[in-house]
Amino acid sequence: MRVAVGAAVAALVLVPRGAIVMLAAGGRHLPTLLEGDVLEAGLNSLVSAVLSAIGAVGLGTLLAVLLERTDLPFRRALRLFALSPMLVPPFVGAIAWIGIAGPTSAINLWWRELFGGPLWIVYGGDGVVFLLIVHSYPIAMLVVSAALRRIPADLEQAARISGASAVRALATVTVPLLRPALASSFTLIAVSNLADFGIPSIVGTPERFTTLSTLVYRYIQSGTVDDPLGVVATVGAVLLAVALAAVVLDAVLSRRGHELDASASPPQRLPLGRALLPVGAATWLLVLALTLLPILALASQSLLPAPGVPFTLENITLDNLVRAVTSKNAIDGALNSLWLAGLAAVLCAGLGLAVGALVTRTRSRSNRPLQAAALLPQAIPGLVIAVAWLVIAPRIGLFNTPWLILAAYVTSFLALVVQAVHAPLSATPMTAEEAARVSGASPLRALIDISWRMALPAALSGGVLVFLTSVRELTLSVLLLSPGSQTLGVAIFNLQQAGAYNAASALSLIVTLVGLAGIGLAARTPKQA
Amino acid sequence: MASVHLDGVSLRYPSGTLGLADIHLRVGDGEFVALVGPSGSGKTTLLRSIAGFLAPTAGTVAIDGSTVAGPGVFTPPEERRLGMVFQQHAVWPHWNVGRNVEYPLRLARLPRAERAARVAEALDMVGLGGWAKRDPATLSGGQRQRVALARALVARPRVLLLDEALSALDEPLRDRLRLELQTLTRTLGLTVVHVTHDRDEALALADRVVVLDGGRVQQIGSPEQLVTEPASPFVARFLSDATIVPGACEAGGFRASAHPLVVPTAALAGQGGRGDAELAVLPQDLELRADEHGDAVVTSSLFGREGNDVIVDWQGLSLRARTTGYRPRVDERVTVSVRRGLVFPSEGVRSARRVLA
Repeated sequence: MRVAVGAAVAALVLVPRGAIVMLAAGGRHLPTLLEGDVLEAGLNSLVSAVLSAIGAVGLGTLLAVLLERTDLPFRRALRLFALSPMLVPPFVGAIAWIGIAGPTSAINLWWRELFGGPLWIVYGGDGVVFLLIVHSYPIAMLVVSAALRRIPADLEQAARISGASAVRALATVTVPLLRPALASSFTLIAVSNLADFGIPSIVGTPERFTTLSTLVYRYIQSGTVDDPLGVVATVGAVLLAVALAAVVLDAVLSRRGHELDASASPPQRLPLGRALLPVGAATWLLVLALTLLPILALASQSLLPAPGVPFTLENITLDNLVRAVTSKNAIDGALNSLWLAGLAAVLCAGLGLAVGALVTRTRSRSNRPLQAAALLPQAIPGLVIAVAWLVIAPRIGLFNTPWLILAAYVTSFLALVVQAVHAPLSATPMTAEEAARVSGASPLRALIDISWRMALPAALSGGVLVFLTSVRELTLSVLLLSPGSQTLGVAIFNLQQAGAYNAASALSLIVTLVGLAGIGLAARTPKQA
Repeated sequence: MASVHLDGVSLRYPSGTLGLADIHLRVGDGEFVALVGPSGSGKTTLLRSIAGFLAPTAGTVAIDGSTVAGPGVFTPPEERRLGMVFQQHAVWPHWNVGRNVEYPLRLARLPRAERAARVAEALDMVGLGGWAKRDPATLSGGQRQRVALARALVARPRVLLLDEALSALDEPLRDRLRLELQTLTRTLGLTVVHVTHDRDEALALADRVVVLDGGRVQQIGSPEQLVTEPASPFVARFLSDATIVPGACEAGGFRASAHPLVVPTAALAGQGGRGDAELAVLPQDLELRADEHGDAVVTSSLFGREGNDVIVDWQGLSLRARTTGYRPRVDERVTVSVRRGLVFPSEGVRSARRVLA
């Protein structure tokens, strides 16, 4: 069984990676990397990834500290709101923000009337960085919150009793202990933002702000260069190298982390006192502006016939919403997405459970490489995964078939299940299985009856997560698109590109609301188990 | 060093549960006071109220004669000039030993030379001289607890607070640190408030012991007083494993209800008076004799250095006894006699007397 699972992971993860490197290793296209277009796109990608990671870690840390360590009112609700951008696909966020800060948005039209120019237009490099921050700060917030909760409260209390004020104790004891978490969320976010497709193509392209992912898309869509696949593979190999370097860096940094004891007492929340009202109001305003405002913008765009039309009672129409759910494109996309995501979820749940059980329940030298291989795609930009599958597709007869998208989904999202099952499996002691052995079960039987059964709820919720993520996926789908395999994300993207902003908004709104509801349900199920 | 005075301190949590109820406690200058009680008795709550991590909802806390918590007054922990050792040592993992110990002095803005001298002195004091450059991750549990103690003492605190400071350590080490702690605190003349759930540790270390239950003080006294003259059946049971027998005080002595046990007046101690009462029998005040026709059966018999810990079932009443020399077997028949019993008026009688008074 070990061989079978190992082979599956290798086929999904290592072969595509290897293919890119092989194709790129020819080196024929290395000079193109230094050509104007590619170089400029690479710089744009790098700068926007680094800036957005700095911004996201800053914002996420600020929110995590406020939520975990102060007596801010309504923390639970605030936390849910603040995490919600993670559940909205970035390209949907981009469409929504065009409604808020596009050239014909209500705010900019009003400002133009007053001052003769728009307030701020989301198009361009600054808009890309801003949207990347909005969509990645929740990850930093989650990582930092978890790290904050692991820091025992008595460390801060010991500082207080030594004579440090509450703020000083936070700054000198807690924040330094957060450093590994800050570093790892920075690398995680920077790498994933390095090759995001939806945001730069929707808000960057109108201002000719090209990044590597939009460039690759252009090369693949229109034959502007000779041997597009070779050039694209070279770009992919470079991105892969950057991503692997980040993984290594992260591993080195996290090894420098500190060993912490379990906390003996609950953390002392910092009373904000007189600052409570201003800080609370500012936090709420910020979080609502980043989370609720885009959804309202989507809703208002969905109800209007065209962008820039004033939002009055006569102008409101349900046409967009009706068209969104009845158009052939949208229905085809939705059906394709549903079955692709469903299959991906089933495959990921099964394979993830097998990998998780092998890695935590057996002693073998191949465990660490196996787990690393399964988790690796999480640290690799989706763009690289898509390019990798494009490169090997013709050789395995999957070119121009929807199976290619399915394979890419499984590669990308297997890590979600492996991670989900890792926690319950490693938390149940080996003795649970040993007790089954003593009761008369064979090793395989004990593994299935005890460990798999205990990890099953986690594998199922991991599978649901895979489903919800892939059903709204864009980067992989748009690059691996084949005739007749348009997905939901691609349908929305094409509407947007074709200028049907309000129809795109309507479909986005439906996807967002259904997705939020779905994730809300999925997040609730493990508690009952 | 300084004294700690608590007057009518009560603490009600926002959830409505009562953490502390009307605590009066005076810890003298240089005194070592231990707080004991079952879990949830309020001992840690009391310590944290002195430290300033919790604010009492009524009453006042005064350190060295100045009020630090009371109506309209609250001094945060960092301004109380206290030292504290936590159960999980709370040594900061991102600094070396020297930097950990130095931190309170930095905050007090002492000049560098003096800080170095004081750190070296504090580390010497806890037996870690020359360890300043070590990374805390390389230290054992006991060594980390010594670092925490050095850190608590380095700024010469007015009061040293110990929150289950020895409880996370394993037995032989805990015993050694207990001895060292006593030597250290006595030589320095420190005022110490020590919270522990280990009653033997409390009795062994403290000048006075405070027994808490349900947020209320049950008894304050010297270790001898608490062991020989417990103020209530609870204290007798909690500190000395006494068996509590309900019954009544009559002319001839104490007669148990629904049990043949009778203890003559001559063998009784405690608060007198007729009426419903409870009898507390300490393990060492029970005598067991092997007797084939005895009406009690041994249910367990554990060996102990200072006497065997024996539980007998005497016609439905489970009694805890300590025997020296003789160790009965489980299931052996014995006869039981009570050498001495402590009588306490039962709860109903006590409240009636309070009303009359």
